[in-house]
Formats: sequence, C-alpha cells, structure tokens
Amino acid sequence: MLAPAVIYLGGFLVIILVKVSVLALSYQGASGVVFPSAQHFMGLSENPEFREALTRTMWFTLVGTPVELVAGLVLAFLVVGDFKGRGLVRSVFILPLAIPAIVTAIILYIVFDFPGGHVNDLLRGCHAVFPFRLISTPINWRGSGFFALMVAMFGKVWRDMPISMLIILAGLQAIDKEQIEAARTLGANAGQIFLRITLPLLVPAMSTVLVLRSIEMWKEFIFPFILAGSYPLLATLIERAYHEWRNPNEACAIALVLLVLIMGSTGVVLYVSRRLKKWLVAA
Amino acid sequence: MTLRIRVRAGRILWFSGLVVMVLIVIAPVFVMFKYAISDRASVVTGGMPIPLWPFHPTLEQFRGLAGTEQFLAAAVTSLQAALLSVTLSLAIGTPAAYALSRYRFPGVMVLATALISIRLFPDVVAVVPVVEIFTRLALVNRVLGVALAHSLLAAPYVIFIAMGVFDTIPIELEEQARILGAGPVRSFVRIVLPVALPGLAAAAIYVFLLSWDEFIFSYFLLAFGEQSTLPVILQKILSWTPQHNLLAAISVVLSVPVVAFTFLVQRYMQTGAMAGAVK
Repeated sequence: MLAPAVIYLGGFLVIILVKVSVLALSYQGASGVVFPSAQHFMGLSENPEFREALTRTMWFTLVGTPVELVAGLVLAFLVVGDFKGRGLVRSVFILPLAIPAIVTAIILYIVFDFPGGHVNDLLRGCHAVFPFRLISTPINWRGSGFFALMVAMFGKVWRDMPISMLIILAGLQAIDKEQIEAARTLGANAGQIFLRITLPLLVPAMSTVLVLRSIEMWKEFIFPFILAGSYPLLATLIERAYHEWRNPNEACAIALVLLVLIMGSTGVVLYVSRRLKKWLVAA
Repeated sequence: MTLRIRVRAGRILWFSGLVVMVLIVIAPVFVMFKYAISDRASVVTGGMPIPLWPFHPTLEQFRGLAGTEQFLAAAVTSLQAALLSVTLSLAIGTPAAYALSRYRFPGVMVLATALISIRLFPDVVAVVPVVEIFTRLALVNRVLGVALAHSLLAAPYVIFIAMGVFDTIPIELEEQARILGAGPVRSFVRIVLPVALPGLAAAAIYVFLLSWDEFIFSYFLLAFGEQSTLPVILQKILSWTPQHNLLAAISVVLSVPVVAFTFLVQRYMQTGAMAGAVK
C-alpha cells in the first residue's frame, strides 16, 4: 500500500535531484559534452545578472522573513484574547490565504500602476478619504528595483500572514495558563510574564515560522515575476535562463545554488533558534 | 488610577491595530471586486484619478468572459487538471496514509516524515528538470502533465491529512469487523472508509484548490502551448496590457471557489498549511 506513494514521491525526488545536478554539471564544449564540469557555475559567478539577482534575493529574504514573523505575531496577538466578533475577525485574517497568489499579484499590479494607479492617486491626495499630498509626481513602481521588490514583498507577506498567524496562535494556545497564573501569584507583572514565560515558550512556534517563511522567501517566484520582471531574483532568473537564454544547464545551476542557500539558511535558523531558546530560559 | 489608564491605552492600541490590519487585509479584495464590476469609463479615465467606486457598476466583464472561448477553454483545462490531480494524489496518498497509520513497523515515523517533508522541496528548483523530463515523455502542453506535477505537490498533504483522519478511527472497529468474519478489504471499504470520508473529502478539496491556484508548474508546462489554466491565462494576457477590469473579473472567477471552499474546510487547511512543520 505504501509502494505507490514511496515510488511516486521518492522516485520523482531522486530523478529531479539527479537531473538538476547532471544538467548543471555538464558543459557543451567544442569537443563534446564534458561531465562533470563547473563551467556553468564559473560562468554565473562572472555574470552580473546572476550576481545582482543573488544580492537582491539575499536582501529580499533577510528583510522579508522578519517582516513575515512580525505580521504573524501582530495578527495572532490581536485575536488571541476573547472579544465579541472574534470568530469573524479570525475569518477575515484567514482571507489572504484564500486568494490565489497570482490574483494577489495581479491586484497589486493594478493598484501600483503608473502613472494612474490607486496608490499613486492616494499619495497625491486625489481622494477625499486621504487628502494629504505626499508626493507631487506619480511614482513608477515597476520601474525601480527598490519599489518593485518592496511591492512584491508586500504581496508575499500579505498572502502568507495567515499561515504565520495560525502557527503563532497554536503556540500561544499551547501555553499552560496555570504557569502564567502561578507567576502572577508570585508577584510577576505583565512585562515579566511576557518576557520570562510567553516569549521562551513561543520560541518553537516562532522558529517554525522563520524556517517555513525563509524557505518561501528564498524561492519566491510569482510576486517578483509579475511585479518586478526587470529585477529578477534567483527564482525568476531560473525562468529567464530557461526561457530567454534558452539554457537549461545554467537554469539548473542557478537552481542548485538556490537549493544550497535554502538548506544552509534553514540550518542556521534552526541552530540560532535553539540557542535563543536556551538563552531565554537560562536568563 | 494609573493602572486603569494603562489598561485603557492597551485597549485603544489593540483596537486601532485590529482596524488597521482588517483594512490591510480587506483593501486588495475590495479593489478586486471594485475593478471587476467597473464600467469602461471608470477604468479608462484619461489621466483623471480612478474612482474608488465605479460610476456605473456593471457585470459586462463577466458577460464578456462567458462568451470568450479562450477563457472558457482555460476554465475547462483548470477544472480537468484539478480533478485529475485530486484523483491521482488521493489514489497514491490514501493507501500510504492508511498503512502508515495502521502498521507501526520500525522506522514508520521516519518514513512518514520523509514523505511529508517532500513538500518543503522548492518548486522552482524542481520545475526545470521536471519540464525537461516531461518534454521527452511528451507530457508538456498537456493536462495530464500538469496534473502529474500537481499530484507531486499535493500527495504529501494528502498523506498528512489522511494519516490524521485514520489515526482518529479506533483500530478496534476493524478488529471487531474481522472477528465477525469480514476480510481486510471488506472491513476497509465497509467500516473505515465511511468513517474517514469527511476527512478525505477535505483532503480532496485541499488538492483541488492547490491545483486550481498553482502557477509555477502550470506556467512552465503550458507557457508556449495552446492550452492554459486560469492562472496561466491571467499571466499570458498581461503582456497585451488589457483593461484592468478584465484582469479583475478573471481574478474574481479564479478566487471565488477558493474563498468558498477555504472557509468550508478551514480546520483541515490549517493542519495542511502546517503539515510537517510542527512535530
């Protein structure tokens, strides 16, 4: 009964790993195909497009992952208590998960249009609801690497907030109420309770969020593809290498670089959060 | 006194946070619906600011879509791919989940974790080798190819959700059926399956939505062909700079089933979203 799943999933995984490595490591030289060859990696390391994409991806991940965590924390702390209409608010906060990523990207494409999108109109004070003239000329969002990637990051964070919220919420609800009561009886104030009990006990949930979100940030494709087409990240550079450069070998080399980065950063996040928990418990 | 002020300030902070976050979540969804029911004059304004509410709300975009062959074909392709993905991934995942849940052989948890963790493998890394292999197998530009790729993404979720479902069904139920003379197949079909059905239905819906939403594999497999799924057609028409109300209308059609089903199976979606993350 296990066989179909093991063969399908395991088989595909092995084939993908072999294929991606073989393609990345074989080089079509003048005298036939050379394997193994680091030629594609050497070529990429001198390719400015690849270097820029690598830098952008690192910034995208380094900034985006903490933002995802903060967004999840904010949403979770907003709905963890009891209040009238909590169920409804929670459902609203789940909503982004139910909007397909490509749709979110398209909406942001429309809203951040140049020169006449809603955001430009609002910032120029064209609407009565927000009568402040913050900018005098519209911003060309997709024409600037910084703005384009910020918009892409906003989309990514917006769409993934609910998952982070649910994980943090599960972590918060798993905290033993009696422990907090005991601390309060012993005279701890709200700040101490948060720092000494809630935060350390929340570290596993937060590290789960960080691991999952950092993987997602490294490999993000849809939002930068739609919203920052001229400023590729590694994931969108794979698409460009495959479709525009017509070079599957280089596409696979980029993919391998991305895979190694993801595994490395996941290891670092896990290690740091383990140390952090020890430190918080000991302090 | 100071305590009361502090509690009050906390309430105000909490409430304004709530309002801001609700607005951030609602705004893009509102904009999508607003554009989808906008008339031409509310979208093509000739330099004037685009109104926050259309001058003449209209359903003409949806009527137009209903008569556009290319759109209907994409909707049919999306449906076919999603249904085929559901069939494939349930056929692969359910038996495996049952075995992992019922037979506690050594290393079973390692195997279960390994199978479920495959979902963490980055899709953009997998997509080029998959397309290269599928090109050789003539699976590119075909619904079957898309469904095979989607099943690859979905099967780990099915295993995770179905394992949880089977774990809740007491093994005594089956043992009693066996004592009464039912064979293993009969006891599975007559006893386990009916009890497991709601949970498995949730898994099916989850897979359907995953396939319906999926962009990366669909795009790489269908980018240069005649066929498109709905997410792919949305990207393809972006290059002809279409009117924004058309884009929004397609977006609404794409989103409505997902929103409806998500709230139907919210509980399972949550576990699915966290599958393999929490030990």
